[in-house]
Amino acid sequence: MSLEAAVSSFQQLQNSLQTVVEARQRLDSQLSENEQVKKEFSRLTPNNQIYKLIGPVLVKQDQVDAKTNVDKRIEFINDEIKRVEAQLRDISEKMEKKKVEIVQLQTKAQQTTQVPTS
Amino acid sequence: MSNQGQQQVDVTTLDLNQLIEVKRQLEQELQHLTSSFGQLKGAQAKFKACIESVESVKPENEGKTTLIPLTSSLYVPGKLADLENVIVDVGTGYYVEKSTKDAIKMYKEKVEFVTKNLETLQETIVRKQDNLQTVNEISRVKAIQQREAALKAQA
Repeated sequence: MSLEAAVSSFQQLQNSLQTVVEARQRLDSQLSENEQVKKEFSRLTPNNQIYKLIGPVLVKQDQVDAKTNVDKRIEFINDEIKRVEAQLRDISEKMEKKKVEIVQLQTKAQQTTQVPTS
Repeated sequence: MSNQGQQQVDVTTLDLNQLIEVKRQLEQELQHLTSSFGQLKGAQAKFKACIESVESVKPENEGKTTLIPLTSSLYVPGKLADLENVIVDVGTGYYVEKSTKDAIKMYKEKVEFVTKNLETLQETIVRKQDNLQTVNEISRVKAIQQREAALKAQA
């Protein structure tokens, strides 16, 4: 593979790393928001009415339903975080390998240009 | 940022270009942190405003007319029907009906939570600023050294 191709695929990896990192950060903020809601729910008494915002209207909701819903969401987000973490590891590994490859190609290129001058 | 401790590098061993890179990175982090700080400040102010608003929902105000905003420029007169309860946004699209007392308590807790976060953030920012200053200092020293070495080589 040529040096240019290696560098461009390295850049591609860098870009995908960027998007995955952003996804990870988004998940983190979603998780903390949901945990905040869970904490709030845990302090409710049975006569606190819960509403859910659906479009522009507030709809009455059962407390148990709302709680299980939030629990499920937290579970889902945690699974997503695991998936994204695996992706992150995978991309970093690939980048590491590409870097080695690029360095090798670079030294080779340097040697070939140095031969005629010396 | 969690593995900060593991990547400790002695900045004095870096050369000028690396120092510039470190400086750039630090500046970026600092910018991100200050913008987060501003956002948190905004959230804090919003919660404080909520406390004030909830406090105005009290029995003394029963029967008085208020203006309800339908849009940002259209208001209709209205009366408060329920002075004991308010509906509070707890996040992710869920709203909970609470007594005004509980609502104020919740907002106070939120303000406290945000304030605590602001304090830790402030500490981090100060530390980063210190780091940046150190890096600046060292890169200046290195630049001078480099120039002197170049002069000596010429002479």
